[in-house]
Amino acid sequence: MRSRLRLHRAAVLPILIGFWTFAFPQLARAQATSALPKSWNDAVAELAEKIAAAASPATPVRLELRNISSLDASYAAAIRAALVNDLRSHSFRVESTDTGDLLQLTLSESADSYVWVAEMARKSQDQASAPTIIVAVPRTDLSSNGAESQSLSLEKRLIWEQPEKFLDFALLNDSTSSNPRLLVLGTNQITLYKFSDAQWRLSSTTPIPRNASPSRDPRGTIHLKERNISVEGFQCAGDPDLAGTVRCDATKTDLPDLSTTLPERSNGVGTSVPGECRGDPAYLHTSEGDWTQTDSIQGYLMKKIPLPMVLSGDPIEFDGPVMSLQPEPDTSAARAVVHNLKTGNYEGYIVTATCSH
Amino acid sequence: MLRRLAATSVCLTVLFAALPARTARRPQYGGTLRLDMGADLASLDPAVATTASEESAAKIQIDSLIYEGRNPDGSFNGAPGSGPFKILSWEPGKRATLQANENYNQGRPFVDSIAITMARSVRDRLLDLELNKADLAEIPAQDARQSAERGVRISQSPPDELLALVFLDDRPAASDGRAREIIGQSISLAIDRSAITTFLLQKVGEPAGALLPQWSSGTSFLFSTSADVPRAKELWSQITPSRNIVLGYDSADALEQSVAERIVVNAKEAGISLKAVADATNKSTNVDARLMRAPMISPNPATALNGILQTLDPLGRGGFSAKPLRESSSAQEIYGRERAVVDAFRIVPLVWIPRVYGLSARVRNWAAPAPGQTWPLADVWLDTDGKSSDLKDQ
Repeated sequence: MRSRLRLHRAAVLPILIGFWTFAFPQLARAQATSALPKSWNDAVAELAEKIAAAASPATPVRLELRNISSLDASYAAAIRAALVNDLRSHSFRVESTDTGDLLQLTLSESADSYVWVAEMARKSQDQASAPTIIVAVPRTDLSSNGAESQSLSLEKRLIWEQPEKFLDFALLNDSTSSNPRLLVLGTNQITLYKFSDAQWRLSSTTPIPRNASPSRDPRGTIHLKERNISVEGFQCAGDPDLAGTVRCDATKTDLPDLSTTLPERSNGVGTSVPGECRGDPAYLHTSEGDWTQTDSIQGYLMKKIPLPMVLSGDPIEFDGPVMSLQPEPDTSAARAVVHNLKTGNYEGYIVTATCSH
Repeated sequence: MLRRLAATSVCLTVLFAALPARTARRPQYGGTLRLDMGADLASLDPAVATTASEESAAKIQIDSLIYEGRNPDGSFNGAPGSGPFKILSWEPGKRATLQANENYNQGRPFVDSIAITMARSVRDRLLDLELNKADLAEIPAQDARQSAERGVRISQSPPDELLALVFLDDRPAASDGRAREIIGQSISLAIDRSAITTFLLQKVGEPAGALLPQWSSGTSFLFSTSADVPRAKELWSQITPSRNIVLGYDSADALEQSVAERIVVNAKEAGISLKAVADATNKSTNVDARLMRAPMISPNPATALNGILQTLDPLGRGGFSAKPLRESSSAQEIYGRERAVVDAFRIVPLVWIPRVYGLSARVRNWAAPAPGQTWPLADVWLDTDGKSSDLKDQ
């Protein structure tokens, strides 16, 4: 088993290197610690400009670095080096000896961003307040924060269940409406429910035209961002959105199904979810098995060096096979349709991945 | 993005073939969560006002369980029972039972019901936890360590409540601007915040020099928390004639009392004449300054700072929160506002205190709520297998 695993990894390495450069260029860049992400360079430039506005370049400065953030030492050193360069471009002389005025650079962080602080030295005790320059730097550019104890924590929430098979579902968020709406993509109709009086109430149904050669394994996806639905050779669009009147037209070019079916395990599906944990992209994937078996969804993190892909956190279990797994837009969650073998019902879950200790 | 995800899918197709499957323990449905609280609530109607802050906080927690959502203005939307739980029984001021809402639009909670016992003293709550008669209870931060030593599982939030000394606007100590500033600064420099954190809070919490904790703003390290007794003495000597400062504290708050007594000792070491008096009503006209607690209402530093200043505002007669910050304020603007308030020495930050919860061994999926969040009881489940060795609380 072990040797087989290695063989697989070796085979996919070239593919992944290409993929990585394409899909996550910012992370690939971050491997070279001397090259900072653009927003970090912008922040360093802003610091340098503000320092130049507050101090005269006539006096040499001595730059001291203090890192109280989760950034590792190599990034801290790269940020310091970038600031030295930018200060020199503002005609400052940055000395390594004790002769210059002290400029303290502190790399800190708040709840949602890095906070970089430059403190100018006080000239004397009487000088009440030396300039303190602060810039907030997005944490999204972080590729590795060293928080090795973090892992993916999965949580599932049952949203909908029905005896009839359905292919996908979606909660429609609309700021103009106080009632949540639920769209259920069945095999032969699209159904809209509105939440009222503590239950989902049928709002409308739209039949889906029958394909001349219907599949025994129909697939369908609600594309929330694109506001349309692809199902078995048809594409359905809503007017003005999916909560409105839905019309289905035959098409030959479906939008890409964002879930993945494993060729060797026809019932396994996986999807990426937006967001990162420990600076690594997160993925969800079901376990192997057929439609007569229970199933689980497991979180994985893809390391910056393309391999290995590592398990992260514990999986969540289902009472039947996961039939479909689709990413929820803009959240670190996915929609899972499960065939519950105990009840016979089809169930729709939101599976949320959070990065936690 | 789509292209990226599609590319990801391609890779996953190949890659996941090499990954083994794993099994893990599943959340369990069912059971009754036993919740102790100190407040005694007469009503859960959001329109009925409460006077005590403890009651108000408890009411928000329960209302958030029975209403569908909360609006930005703090009001609740939906009908009672539209949230994850419905009220099954209600005895005002004594107990309540909440039942899981099978039709909750975010999914049925894991537990079947929550049995709430109200008006439990701190001692009773700790005993209930120790004797496994309660599954969840909020306990004072200063009792966290001792409770843990007695076998109670402890969960604590990041430090999100500020204990501060606030000078009243209309008292003699605050009447002369320059003298007021010197008095405030000398008292601030006399206080040994580390000792308060280490001995009174049993290292649960952190010294505060700023109005926001370091984890929220990232800039609290710029505010000193160190005591400087010689400098405090020097400043105090500039006050002529010498003043007698009266510090009020809530007599029902054990932590406030011990902190006030500690400050008296610190002040004495710096030659400052300061005495502490219990002020249960919080309305005494004979005090120059008061100890006040100010919770963070949001993880957003600007919103949290506005909230803290608003909480302390009644003592400052509207002077603290006159210029609320925008939610999108920059780190520089937030720091500037903090600096201006702290350097005026009307508010002297003392310590940051976390919220501490005691849990029974069977509670799972509990995470101490962040500022502005409510108890995540819809996510909590009860482990009836009795395996609790791998618990990791936040």
